[in-house]
Amino acid sequence: MTAPAVALRTYTGRTSLAERAKTAARQGSPALLSLAALLAIFAVAVANQPGILSIPGLTLMLMSAVPLVFATQAQMLIMAVGDIDLGIGYLVGLVTVIAATLLDAQPLLGIGLLVGIVGVYALVGLLVERRGVPSIIVTLGMSFVWLGLGLQLLPTPGGAAPEWLAAIGSWRPTWIPGPLVFVVLATVVGWYLARHSRIGMRMRALGSSAPTLNKAGRSLTATRVIAFALAAVLVILAGLLLAAQTRSGDVNSATNFTLTTIAAVILGGGNFSGGRALPVGATFGAVTLGFITVLLSLVNLSSSLQSAAQGLIVLAVLAGRVITERFTR
Amino acid sequence: MITAPHPVPEATVVSVERSRPRLVWPAWGWSLVGVLLIWGFIIAVRPGAPFDPLAQALSLAPFLVLVALGQMLVITLGPGNIDVSVGTIISMSSYVSVAVSVVAGPVAGLVAAVGVGLVAGAVSVVAILLLRVPPIIATLATSLIVSSATLLLSDANRAAADAGLRVLVNAKLLGVPVSALFVAVVTVLIALMFTRTRFGLSIVAVGQSLRAAERAGLRVKTLTAIAYLVCAAFAGLAGGLLAAFISPSTVLGTSYMLDSVAVVVIGGTLVSGGRPVPVGTWTGAMFFVLLSGLLNLVGWPVGAQNILKGLLVVTVVLISTASTGTGRSTLARLRASLNPHKKETTNG
Repeated sequence: MTAPAVALRTYTGRTSLAERAKTAARQGSPALLSLAALLAIFAVAVANQPGILSIPGLTLMLMSAVPLVFATQAQMLIMAVGDIDLGIGYLVGLVTVIAATLLDAQPLLGIGLLVGIVGVYALVGLLVERRGVPSIIVTLGMSFVWLGLGLQLLPTPGGAAPEWLAAIGSWRPTWIPGPLVFVVLATVVGWYLARHSRIGMRMRALGSSAPTLNKAGRSLTATRVIAFALAAVLVILAGLLLAAQTRSGDVNSATNFTLTTIAAVILGGGNFSGGRALPVGATFGAVTLGFITVLLSLVNLSSSLQSAAQGLIVLAVLAGRVITERFTR
Repeated sequence: MITAPHPVPEATVVSVERSRPRLVWPAWGWSLVGVLLIWGFIIAVRPGAPFDPLAQALSLAPFLVLVALGQMLVITLGPGNIDVSVGTIISMSSYVSVAVSVVAGPVAGLVAAVGVGLVAGAVSVVAILLLRVPPIIATLATSLIVSSATLLLSDANRAAADAGLRVLVNAKLLGVPVSALFVAVVTVLIALMFTRTRFGLSIVAVGQSLRAAERAGLRVKTLTAIAYLVCAAFAGLAGGLLAAFISPSTVLGTSYMLDSVAVVVIGGTLVSGGRPVPVGTWTGAMFFVLLSGLLNLVGWPVGAQNILKGLLVVTVVLISTASTGTGRSTLARLRASLNPHKKETTNG
């Protein structure tokens, strides 16, 4: 493949096992930490409600995480090129609205709108690269647009998702929790896009060292545009899956996704400066945050206190990350 | 051309800028143009009493300006710095100020509101500096904690704001709301702070180059802590005042989170940090308030209002980043940037 990959491979090949373990611990520790938090929360949940350890129990537990995992993979792609998307929450909401209104009544117009969203994301990527505008502000502005479009299409929550979408949402195999399949699928897609494909390497290169990518003869603009477009596709999938579960549309149904996806990527070992894409870690982060919500309702915590508990747990896990990083250094 | 006695016509701006910068377009200029345009539209739609919309906007804008000033302080610290907890702080402090003012009077209520902000800010600062959590996540966690506290408070409290404070917040001096005068004074103080004091200049320095500021021996951590604390305290104060102006509610501050960032950017403050524009918070906030007034006047639905608001933010950012290369924005720079070939020769 490209030169950096080869260089990295020979470099790691020559280092000692201890050195490699140390590097792995240092680079993988955030994801491992997220996994540890995930298992701990799962254990507490099982201790509280042993019924979780069944296929229907796991299905219920994982269900809310499915759209979040897809949205998190999208955020991961955007953060890999060094940007942040603050519009994801309302965009997921808008997609549920489109699914519950147009996709059923006028499928062609609905699909056209969804393709249009991908186009708009590509345009945002183009503007960020060519004009040097900060992605935080452009996506913040776009979030108003998504909210407005959603309100125009469906001022109050309602509508009905098409049959085929509802069928996907109610798919309940007997041998495996259905949502787990989707979670794994999202992770594999994220892994393929960000870690395995060539465009994934270009995205990470754009995030870590744009001049190098430029000198390697690759178009920075094309890379960023493709990253944004792919992210839009994943966000649309997240919205469709959310509509499949709720069977209705509400532009405000996923407002917390914006910041939760960022938190999930960071929990999973990502960073803000770009160049890093850890799909498995991002999934762990998203599932952890999804589990926290479920766990908090399981332990009968007053609903007023739930968001505080969520905030404190996020801080605790990130604090743990700082400690382990210091420890492995 | 250098001795042009009149305001320089557009066509010659390029050459004037090359020789000696005479006409320096202020960073808040675009938002002022926006304010005047929207004002013009409002007068066109509803003739008569042209100053009424301005007076109405002046009674709502100060709260937004207060929050935006704090947000500006944080954004000026540099890339990645943003406070997303201001909205929930406003909601919580509105309840606290009302509860305290019932027992101990309006002044104590406002002090308590500022106190709420400081405590919430302290949580963010601990998370950012000690736990080294990125600011957006740290302030998000703070806002989650604060929103829980707000819900608990809203269950317990059903009091109305102190009558004295209500009168003060709604009072007008020569037609101008007292709250606007107060926030104007705060704006002047912040502006002086940025140009005259070591603290203000240090924050600008950190925003321009963190590494250089560290090498120069600035206490970056202390500066960061103070910026976030001041931002949260301003949000708390705004919440206390809003409690008297409107009434406490759990969603009182929700829109202020996005709006404060948008106002700061529209006002000309560099979103990448290092260049605050205190005056811009006023023009930006007036623009926002007047715009929603105009759209309500012509009867646009909420959805369409949001679409327009979003597109405007994006457009303004596109124009301002194109026209501000190094902290001074001129028409010439914008014109040059619209023409790629020219851009390379003038900027390169």
